Amino acid sequence: MWTRKAAFTFTGGIALILIGMMISNNQMMILGLALIAFIVVNSWISGHGDVEVQRTLSADNLYKGDDLYVELLITNRSNRKTQLLEVYDNIPHEMKLRSGLNQMRLNLSPGESARIRYVLRCPLRGHYSIGPVSLRSRNTFNLGVEEMFVDHHSDIVIFPQIKEVEEAFLRSRTPKMYTGATTLRTPGQGSEFYSLREYVPGDPFKNINWKAYARTGELMVNEKCRDAVTDLYLLIDSRDIARIGTVLKNPLEMSTVSAASLAAFFLKRRDSVALGIYGEKLSYLPPDTGDKQYFKILSALAGVSAKGEMPLQAVTNSLSGRFSRGSPVFVISSCEGDGTVPAAVRDLVGRGHEVTVLSPSSIDFERLVSRIPRMSYEVLKLERQNRLTTLAGSGAQVIDWMPDMDLSQALMQVRGY
Amino acid sequence: MVEWREVNYRRYGLQTAFWSVMFVLLLMILSNFINLSNTNQLSAYDDDWNDMSAFRQDIKDMGIETRSLVSSPLLLADIEDPRNTTYVVAGVERDTLSLPQFDDDGFITIASDDGYSPSEVEAIVTFVENGGTAIILEDYGFAGTIAEAFGVRYNGDQLFDTTYVPELNFNYVWMCVQTTPCSMNGSQIDTDSLSTHERWADTSSALSAHPCAIANGQAVTLEDSGVCAHHWSDGEIAYNGTYRVLLNNITALELIPNSNNPLSELAIRAVTSNEAGIDVNGDGKLVVSAIQSEETPDLYGRFNLSIEACAKSTCNPDDGGRVFFVSDGSPLINAIYDYSGFAEGEYGPTDTEIPANDNRKWALDIIAEAMMTSIQDDGLEPSENAMVIFDESRHPQNAVLADSYNTIYFLLVYFTGEGLAMLVLFLILFIAFEAVLIRKKDPDNWRHVFSIIYYGFGDANRYPYYSKVEKIRQVFLSKVRNQNGLTREEFHAMSARELVALINDPTLAKFAIEPTKYSLEQTVSIVKRVKAWGRR
Repeated sequence: MWTRKAAFTFTGGIALILIGMMISNNQMMILGLALIAFIVVNSWISGHGDVEVQRTLSADNLYKGDDLYVELLITNRSNRKTQLLEVYDNIPHEMKLRSGLNQMRLNLSPGESARIRYVLRCPLRGHYSIGPVSLRSRNTFNLGVEEMFVDHHSDIVIFPQIKEVEEAFLRSRTPKMYTGATTLRTPGQGSEFYSLREYVPGDPFKNINWKAYARTGELMVNEKCRDAVTDLYLLIDSRDIARIGTVLKNPLEMSTVSAASLAAFFLKRRDSVALGIYGEKLSYLPPDTGDKQYFKILSALAGVSAKGEMPLQAVTNSLSGRFSRGSPVFVISSCEGDGTVPAAVRDLVGRGHEVTVLSPSSIDFERLVSRIPRMSYEVLKLERQNRLTTLAGSGAQVIDWMPDMDLSQALMQVRGY
Repeated sequence: MVEWREVNYRRYGLQTAFWSVMFVLLLMILSNFINLSNTNQLSAYDDDWNDMSAFRQDIKDMGIETRSLVSSPLLLADIEDPRNTTYVVAGVERDTLSLPQFDDDGFITIASDDGYSPSEVEAIVTFVENGGTAIILEDYGFAGTIAEAFGVRYNGDQLFDTTYVPELNFNYVWMCVQTTPCSMNGSQIDTDSLSTHERWADTSSALSAHPCAIANGQAVTLEDSGVCAHHWSDGEIAYNGTYRVLLNNITALELIPNSNNPLSELAIRAVTSNEAGIDVNGDGKLVVSAIQSEETPDLYGRFNLSIEACAKSTCNPDDGGRVFFVSDGSPLINAIYDYSGFAEGEYGPTDTEIPANDNRKWALDIIAEAMMTSIQDDGLEPSENAMVIFDESRHPQNAVLADSYNTIYFLLVYFTGEGLAMLVLFLILFIAFEAVLIRKKDPDNWRHVFSIIYYGFGDANRYPYYSKVEKIRQVFLSKVRNQNGLTREEFHAMSARELVALINDPTLAKFAIEPTKYSLEQTVSIVKRVKAWGRR
C-alpha cells in the first residue's frame, strides 16, 4: 500500500508530466518522470515480514488484578534484511500495559533475533487471547507500507479474585454442617477404607485389592469413605440484570468474587463444592473436592457473562433433586427482576437445605452509574428490603451486600437475619 | 438445503447476466476504436498496393526524415521548424472523436462529422502560417474542414472526365498540372495539349520556380543531385515541367468566395477538361443540361482538380506556408505511384496494368521544393531539419491494440492541447490532489488502548413509577405484611381497623387506607416515615 507521501509524489509526477505537455516544458516533464521513476524504483526495494515469532507468558492462569509478564521473541528466518519492520503484539484492550511496550521497530539481519518484554495488568476476569502479532513493513523512503500478521496466539484465563473468608463468619444455626473435615459414612473419594466391592470397568487399577483377588479369585476394589463434611452448592445469578453498575463494580463481578472465595474456603476444608450458573442457560458443575474442582470452578467463573432471564425457580426445580440432603446452598443473586426467588428459596428450605442468599444490592450499583431521584431510590430500597425480608421469612439467611462492602464484612450479616 | 441451492443458482444467474451485459458494453465501446476488418489503407507505413510506402521510401532516400502522427494534428503546434516540415494528409478515412472544445467564438462546441476538430484545424492553420507546407489529398472523406479553413471546398460528389484511362475504367482520370485542360488522343493524352507547370517551370521568376527547374541542365553526380535526384539523368538535372498525374475516384474542388483565408494567394494548378461532369445525385449517370434542375441534377463543365494556397504569390517556401489541395486521396498509393513495381508484383500479384504517370515526379517535386535548403552552399541537399509528417491519425490500424493506443494517445493530446480539455484536466488534477490530501491516510500508529468502559445502566424509565403514591403505598403495605409475618391471604383478609392497629401510626395508617392526593413534600415525608416504620 502506498503511503500519503507516495500518493503525493505520484500525483505530483503525473501532474508535472501533463502540465509539462500542456505548456511544452520538457524540464517539467522530466521532473515528473523522475518522480514516477522514483516511486517505481523504490517499490523494488521493499522489506518483508517473513519472521518467526515466539511468545512466552509468565503464567497461563492468573487472578484478577495480577501482573502478567510477556516476552516476544522475533527471529528473521529469511535471507534478506527485514528493512524497517514494526512489530506489534495485539493485547486485549481489557488489559493494562503496566511496564514495557508491546511494540518495537526492528531491522533484523538474516537469522537475527530481537526480544520484546512487557508487563500486563489484568483487572478483569475472563478468558483472553494475546495475539496475533501484527507486522508492518516499510520500504526505504517510507513510500510503501505492507501490513501482515503472524497468527500466533497465547490464551490466558483470568480468575476472579479470592477474598479471605473468616470461618467465624460462616456460623449458622446448624453448626454441624461446617465442622470441618470429618469422614462421612458414605462411599466416595477419601482416605479411609469404607468397604470392598466387585470391580467394574472404569475403576482405577490402583484401587484393586490384590489380596482379596488372590483370596477370592475375583477382582475386588477398595472403596473409600468420603472425606468431605458436606456438599456445598453455589448458585450464581448471571442474568442480564446482573451487569448493572460499572465494569469493575456490578452484581455479577461481586458474585463471581464471592463464589470463588467461598469455593476456595470450603474446598480448602476438603468439602465438596458444586457450582450452578444461571442466566441465559444453566451450567452446572457437580460437587467435587480438590484442586481440580477448584480450577474448574474458577475457570467457569472466569467465563461468566451477564445474559438471559432464567428464573431461580427453574434452576432449583432442575437441580434440587441432585442436591445432597441437608446440604447448604448459597444463592448469590441481586434478586432483582425475578419473582420466583421467594418460592425457590422456600422450596429449598422445605427440602431441608440451609439456604444463604448473598444479594449484591443492585440498586446501589445502579446508583454508581445512573442518577436516581432520591425518593425513587428510597422506595426502590424499601422494596428491596421487603424482598429480602420475605426471603428471610422463608427461612433463608439473607445478606444484603453493598458495593463498598468487603465480602467478609458482608458475611458478618448472616447473623443479622 | 434445496432453498439454499435455489438462492445460489439465482445469485450465479444474476452475476452471469451482469457480467455478460458488461462484456457486451465493453465490446460495443471497443468496436468503436478497433476495426479488425479494415486493413490499413493509405498508410505510409504499410506496403500494400493501396498504401504509400514507396512514396515514404523515396523521401527517406532523399535524406529527409519521415514521421507519423497517430494521435492528433494538435501536435503540429510543437513542431520547432515548420518551414522545413511538410505535413501530408492522404485520404481521411474516419472522423475524429467528438469531444467538447472551445470554438472560435469562445463557446463550447462538440465537433462531429468534420474529420478534424476546430482545434486541430486551428493547429494546421497555425502550422502553415508559421511556414509549414501541407499536402491535402482527399476526395469524399473528412478533410473538408481543413480545406474550408483555407477558402477551398471539396465538392464531395464523384467527378467524371473524358480524360480517363480507357484500359482501366472511367474512375481513373488524368490530371494535367497546368492551367489549361489537356485532352485525349485515343487512349493516350494528347501530347499537344500538354504544357508545363505554371509556376514551377517558369524559370524567369527565380523566386517562384521550382529549384530543380532552376538547376535544369546543371551537371551533377547522382549523389549530389539531392532532392532533385528524380530528375537526374545522364550526369545532369533534366527537369521536365510537364505533369500527368493519374487520379482515381475523384471529386472537384471549389473556391469559397469571400472566405477569411489565412493564405491570401489561391492558385488553381490543375483543372479537368471542359467536358467533365459531376454526378450530383450519385446514381452513376450523368444527366446534364445548361441549367441544373431536378431532371438534370448533375453538373457539367470544367472543374478544379488541384489548388495551391500560398502566403505570397511567389509560393516560395521561404516566403510563408503553403497548402496543396488535390481532389483525390489516392495519387500516392503504391499501385499508381510506383506503377512499374506494382506491375512487377512488388505489392502483390495483379493483372491490372497501371499506365505510366508522373505522380512520383509531381509528389517528389512538392517535397523537393519544400525541403530544399535555402543555404546556397548546400546545393540541392535537403535542409538539416527537413521532415515529412504523415497523418496516420485518421486511418484505421490493423493491429489489435493500435487503435486503442492511438485513441489513448489522442485523448492525451486532446487533454494537453485543447483549451477546454486543459481546463478540465486542471480541474481533475486539482480534485486528484484534494482527494489525495483528504482521503489518503497513512496507517495509524499502533498503540495499545486500555479500555474497560462498560456500564449497565439499569432501567431509568422506572424511576418516575417508583415515586408515585400508589407504588409507595404498595411497598409500605408489603413491608407491613412482611414485618408481621403474614401471608398474602392473611393480609388481605384483615379488616381496616386491624390494619390500622397493626400500623400503629396515624399518618401512615391514613396513607395506607385513604387514597388521598399528596403533594411532593408530603410524599417525601411519607417515604421517610415508611422507612423509619418498624424500627421502633
